[in-house]
Amino acid sequence: MQDGIPDEVGMTAQTFGDGVSQSELWHELMQFYINEAWLLDDRKFREWLDLFTDDVFYFMPRRLNVGRQDLSREISEEGDLAIFEDDKTYMTMRVDRLDTGMAWSEDPPSRTRHLVGNLVIEPLPEGDLKAKTAFILYRSHHETDENIFAGSREDHLRKEDGRWKIYKRTIVLDANVILAKNLSVFF
Amino acid sequence: MAVSNKKYNVIDLKTGKLDSRIFSDPDIYREELEKVFGRTWLMIGHESLVPKVNDFFHTYMGEDRVILTRDGKGKLHAFLNMCRHRGNAIVRTDVGNTKNFFCPYHGWTYSNDGSLEYVPGEEEAYYGAVDRDSRSLIAARVETYAGIVFANWDSGAPSLEEYLGDARWCLDVAFNRLDAGTEAIGPVKWIEPLNWKTAVDNCSDNYHVPTTHLSAILVQARHFGLPRLTHEAQFESPSKHLFINGHSLTMRMLERPDQARQTHGVTQENRSLFEEYYRSTLAEAERRLGSVRAGKLQLGNHSIFPNGVLGLRLAHPRGPLETEFWHFVVLEKGMPDELKRALRMGSGNYNGVAGLFEQDDMDNWRGVSRSSLTPLAQKYSQDLSMGVGRAGSDPDFPGTVAERYTSENNQRSFYRRWEEFMNAESWEDISIEPGTADFEGTATING
Repeated sequence: MQDGIPDEVGMTAQTFGDGVSQSELWHELMQFYINEAWLLDDRKFREWLDLFTDDVFYFMPRRLNVGRQDLSREISEEGDLAIFEDDKTYMTMRVDRLDTGMAWSEDPPSRTRHLVGNLVIEPLPEGDLKAKTAFILYRSHHETDENIFAGSREDHLRKEDGRWKIYKRTIVLDANVILAKNLSVFF
Repeated sequence: MAVSNKKYNVIDLKTGKLDSRIFSDPDIYREELEKVFGRTWLMIGHESLVPKVNDFFHTYMGEDRVILTRDGKGKLHAFLNMCRHRGNAIVRTDVGNTKNFFCPYHGWTYSNDGSLEYVPGEEEAYYGAVDRDSRSLIAARVETYAGIVFANWDSGAPSLEEYLGDARWCLDVAFNRLDAGTEAIGPVKWIEPLNWKTAVDNCSDNYHVPTTHLSAILVQARHFGLPRLTHEAQFESPSKHLFINGHSLTMRMLERPDQARQTHGVTQENRSLFEEYYRSTLAEAERRLGSVRAGKLQLGNHSIFPNGVLGLRLAHPRGPLETEFWHFVVLEKGMPDELKRALRMGSGNYNGVAGLFEQDDMDNWRGVSRSSLTPLAQKYSQDLSMGVGRAGSDPDFPGTVAERYTSENNQRSFYRRWEEFMNAESWEDISIEPGTADFEGTATING
């Protein structure tokens, strides 16, 4: 098995801190991600923002097209130019913008569908968690614009006031040249 | 209007009427690949993208795939990515490091200086009749400006120094300030559903900012304490809007030499750190650029003809109604990491495919580009009449300077320059403005 995936769903004996079984935690996180997807697709962006800590780092590096011998360079590093390199202020600006009535890229708004799955979880020190998911984001805009974004997200989460919050999200698109006029939707 | 025997007469400088068919006509598009992109100096990258010998970076000149290489002796080359046998692409990756390029079709192998080194079956199959010397990779001319690499297919074109002319006097303020030079990071690449010229002409459009980008302006005022940009402020702005050899440049005045430049990523919070940086580098900048350019001016929006959009950001044509946009960020090498991070995040989060500002441009530009798709719509010209007749010379600045910072003079001039290339038989028919600027200081085109 790969780390973090129950051998058979719900049947693993491994525990994560506090005596919670891995399968219980896996279900808890899956519910977290299902909820997140609905918040985004229902355009409840303020509630979505609240899933992130105030010190969050929201990062989408570039995906380079490289040969097999250069796979170590496939994903651009921090310090190189990224597609998203947001702190909470920039994320909040993106959401605040939508309410100004003059955010033309999202007015009329995109119709999105986030499908999130393939969840793998792994413990981090101090009870934190690493959770990796795969996603397909479908976006329809105006009359006929269509985009399909596929990729992975690796989140670092910690509990704040009894709720999981993301303090680091790394989104890696399965694309080199992005086949979209803009990325005005959230991942 | 005077009768012209020229094929293209798309912009009327007296009325500002622009024939919108230049954005969507496939025949015009094909011709401009040859007459504009086949003749001009084109930015293809930056020396920092190929720092080591044998590094390569894959890039484009127009629609043509190009390999920027640094050969074993450190010399830069730009080659058409096309095997001389059957035309296959010999490089399929963005970057890499190799002495040889090997065609995966039949195995013809080239050195990174362009020479054809090996042909399988050269003696047996070809009976020794392959003249390898005549089958080197097709090379473009390569010249650099302060680390930015330009290439040109036309042997009749002037030098890059002449081509940039006095535009370099302005560009130096941002790209040639310090001895250590600059580095480029990126690119973020995406496909825009619009004609490449619309993205470039928008660099000269100071008029759109308070409308197109109002949401971003409001949230940056709220979160970063930056002044709210208004139409009134734009109309009254003392900034200068210059046009030189096809290049459009905005010069803003500095209130004091250490003023933090008006750049994405500068906030109320980090402003003092930027000021400290500009103070500590002022003496060096003054030695290189003289006191006016080092301490009194900053570079605003600008475009480098034909397809450079705000510095090293490229609008690669991909058909009349499609553009592949490449967003790089150029940073001064010696800048402290904390400031580099602020500029990187600011530039990435304001411009680029996800940029708070740039994302709002796309549907406007698409609307402009697609405006002539029907026989009915193409009867109506676009209107670039703002400030007609209100531009001339300025004692303190080179080129043609618009009376106001908000003016469509540079857009009219951009399409006139495009027309000049489209109507020219060769570079002999294309004008270069005589230089008048005083390049005070030690900086040269090479850095």
